[in-house]
Amino acid sequence: MDKKAWEKKFRNSGLREADFSTISGRPLEPLYDWDDLADLNLKKELAYPGEYPYTRGVHPSMYRGKLWTMRQFAGMGTPQQTNQRYKFLLEKGQTGLSVAFDNPTLYGWDSDHALSIGEVGRTGVAVDTMEDMEILFDEIPLDKVSTSMTINAPASWIFAMFLANAEKRHIPFAELRGTLQNDILKEYIAQKEWIFPPEPHLRLITDLMAFCADHVPQWNTISISGYHIREAGSTAAQELAFTLADGFAYVEHALRAGLDIDDFAPRLSFFFNAHLDFFEEIAKLRAARRIWARHMKERFKAKNPRSWLCRFHVQTAGCSLTAQQPELNIVRTALEALAGVLGGCQSLHTNSMDEALALPSEKAVEIALRTQQVIAFESGAANVIDPLGGSYFVEKLTNELEEEAERYFRKIEEHGGVVPAIEKGFFQREITRAAYEYQMALSRKRKISVGVNEFVNEDERLEIPLLEIDESVEKDQVRRLGEVRKRRDNGAVRAKLEALEKAAAGTANLTPFLLDCARVYGTLGEISAALISVFGEYQEQPFF
Amino acid sequence: MGRPLAIYSSRHQRIYLGLDRNYIFVRTGASIGRSLGPELWDDFFKGSRLACARLITLVENSPELVPEIRDKLIPRQKGAIRVGITGPPGVGKSTVTAALVRRAVKAGHTVGVIAVDPTSPFTGGAFLGDRVRMLSLIGDPHIFIRSQASRDGHGGLSPSTPYVADVFDAFGMDRIFIETVGVGQAELDVLTCADLIVLVLQPATGDIIQALKAGIIEAADLLLINKSDLSGTESLLESLRFLFEISARPTTIPAPPVLTAAALHNRGLDEAYKEIERLISGHVASGRIREKKRLRLEGEMKSSVLQDLWGRFAALTNAPEKMRTAAENLLENGRSPYPFIRNLCARITMEVRDERTNRKDHG
Amino acid sequence: MAEKKIKIIIAKPGLDGHDRGAKVVARALVEAGMEVVYLGLRQTPESIVNAALEEDADVVGLSILSGAHMTHFKRVKELMDKNGLGDRLLTGGGIIPTKDQDKLKDLGVGKVFGPGDDLQSIVDYIRKWRGSQGD
Repeated sequence: MDKKAWEKKFRNSGLREADFSTISGRPLEPLYDWDDLADLNLKKELAYPGEYPYTRGVHPSMYRGKLWTMRQFAGMGTPQQTNQRYKFLLEKGQTGLSVAFDNPTLYGWDSDHALSIGEVGRTGVAVDTMEDMEILFDEIPLDKVSTSMTINAPASWIFAMFLANAEKRHIPFAELRGTLQNDILKEYIAQKEWIFPPEPHLRLITDLMAFCADHVPQWNTISISGYHIREAGSTAAQELAFTLADGFAYVEHALRAGLDIDDFAPRLSFFFNAHLDFFEEIAKLRAARRIWARHMKERFKAKNPRSWLCRFHVQTAGCSLTAQQPELNIVRTALEALAGVLGGCQSLHTNSMDEALALPSEKAVEIALRTQQVIAFESGAANVIDPLGGSYFVEKLTNELEEEAERYFRKIEEHGGVVPAIEKGFFQREITRAAYEYQMALSRKRKISVGVNEFVNEDERLEIPLLEIDESVEKDQVRRLGEVRKRRDNGAVRAKLEALEKAAAGTANLTPFLLDCARVYGTLGEISAALISVFGEYQEQPFF
Repeated sequence: MGRPLAIYSSRHQRIYLGLDRNYIFVRTGASIGRSLGPELWDDFFKGSRLACARLITLVENSPELVPEIRDKLIPRQKGAIRVGITGPPGVGKSTVTAALVRRAVKAGHTVGVIAVDPTSPFTGGAFLGDRVRMLSLIGDPHIFIRSQASRDGHGGLSPSTPYVADVFDAFGMDRIFIETVGVGQAELDVLTCADLIVLVLQPATGDIIQALKAGIIEAADLLLINKSDLSGTESLLESLRFLFEISARPTTIPAPPVLTAAALHNRGLDEAYKEIERLISGHVASGRIREKKRLRLEGEMKSSVLQDLWGRFAALTNAPEKMRTAAENLLENGRSPYPFIRNLCARITMEVRDERTNRKDHG
Repeated sequence: MAEKKIKIIIAKPGLDGHDRGAKVVARALVEAGMEVVYLGLRQTPESIVNAALEEDADVVGLSILSGAHMTHFKRVKELMDKNGLGDRLLTGGGIIPTKDQDKLKDLGVGKVFGPGDDLQSIVDYIRKWRGSQGD
């Protein structure tokens, strides 16, 4: 049978009335075959795992050598409570820590700031001074466990508190392993947690890259994140393109500051979303590796192969979780996690089933972690490297996503680069439009969400236990902060803050000055205020 | 020309008819008087911000109440200066407005801000986003910000914008900033509604051509080139200078001052504000503002009389219907409309007399 | 009679930056013919109620995904009542557990919507509320 004959039979066989596009609205053919790959030099496009352009994976042995790190993002309430949760997770077999901070901390505000009321310890842990770091990591071997910190705007001074704590515990900086999210560009684009205008934030990031290259060589100084861009409603291609474009912007900024690309690029890492559309997500992750490698090698002329690697963490899509029939979220998360594994992630977070309702309970967190273990040890998905490589469909999609990303790069270039495009609202508009279109597709049932717009259980009753944050958390945290303020050497704090301010007005690397402030228990908010007095604050215009 | 507008006020037993709105608004029943009781006025004159807000809603939503409301407002107005801020979309009008308002308050003024955003012609809805750019002003008791959808207005303002300014004036505001929709076309309501026009431009967007078409360059009292940190500022200044040389402006009126600013970076706004105040004092002293206010009143009288006469005339002669038939015929036969027009106009004196007789019958 | 426009404030109180829901809902309301005053991120209850007052808004809609909904809804409602806006609808959405939804209802807050609620149901709810208010 030739293709024409099949096409005829296909059309005559009575087709379902349904939308066959991906969740991002990408139209799909009913079948992919050798014709779709005819123009591709597969040997060159794919190569071997651990070989440029790394389509099949960043490491030659992938999961035959080392499974991905199972890293559950956690943090809530007081530092003591979060410390308990970490110990619980490590006991259950988790291999890395991931710190979630509360909203005031993410904005660089102290827990006793007027606008922090009601927010302290809600969606993560509050960190005001080095003392909180001491409690948070108490009895946790920081030289053995890798630590990821999801913090952006005040990342440099939160990290300074972390370093000061390690110093106090006599752990050499060189032995610390972990990741700082520290990705401010996606904050302007999607998550909206910034302090200063883009330029000073970029300087702080470049300063930290330079400092870590010399002193904390195993630390990933930035985790360039598409996760939040996707959560804000973007398509898969937008997530891919905007994230990598942000990455290029950081590289360009560091190069302009005079850094050598091979000094800092090996410590850049990425963070992607794993959404529901299984094959599109796998293709996205494969395309990310290939695009990054090509640009780093060919455009930025990096020599060290480690600079070409797009290593990434994956988190399943929080926005795909539903409040209705929340147990179904276990299934969604499992599928998304599998896509992350088949896409070759280095570490993975699986969401808990109750997260559309509240912060996750211990039971739900355990199921989420166990889901990864089922994938790793029962499903067989980790036995073969890039098992979908060579699939007509997946290769074609990988290619399409790469092409679409390149189109976006050109558009961003036309706007004058990432920062001007942010100021003009280019990303924000693209994302808002995609989010609205998807919502309308749900509304019109062109897309189905099980339990939400189809297969709805009337009179559904919620029967899973939810975690509640005790009101006393905020009072405790504020009280302890007050005590630190009284106990510390306030003269030293003032002196170090003034030195920081002076340095900020000049061009010195700010990281050592931030470290000095952290050592004397300067608070997060005090350090923010000192820097704001020099850098000013950013004010967003909303774009629709 | 839109369809005639008929407004019936049960309170005044009157019908207003107009040509310049494109919907028919007919209202009956007693509910309209409900929120316009003496309490609302007491609260308003005592300085209640909520009463002020409600009164604005009334002039926006109930055109039939406007005469009654303005009867009360006008004696209390102190002649606040109305500054129109206009310009093409995206030049930063809101940011400029916020910066000027801040300075006006600092100089001791109480300020009303009317920020107009466009109504979608397809859905009738409107997205009012100017307030976000004025966040730094919120909560100051000397400032009252009101967002408005343009609704049926096509010239960058809502039909009710001048009346909202009246409300602010009577409420005790002495500076009123009116920020228009980003407009590029000819019809600009703000020209007739404001005492002073600030035209905001930005470099390198081809705005100058748009503005030329609008003829607003001639009417502007001050040109402010915002975002002057962008390249292209010099060439814009150059083309503006050229434009004034060839402009149709009477030679007795000097070309307006052109200033540069970067509102986001807070540069050049002190100078812009000073210049505005200087222009205001100058125009007050020279009588120009008074003249503008007088012209505005004359224009308003004329259009009201037109509306009233046309309304009565249309109601009595069935003119709209006749005009439609006549237009059909003229189109059909390719004839000139003037004989019909003369014929219709010739009936005016007669019809008015007839109406007077009719009125007597109704007592 | 021409239908009166519904004027609605959409704001995000507190610190969470997740404005996807607020923006999508704002757009749906505009498409449904309403006039939406969008206040955006990091609003204090005071600035929200001040806007509601100056705009004489019919409805105030809050979007909160940070878990601080009880604090913010309560404060906004108190300020609305204090400023003579007790007859306006306070509604909103976010990640809000059922138990808290009941508590919010007791405070006088209207229906709060969650992930997965249909946009049309939000539009319908607001229209229905407006219809029940008389003229």
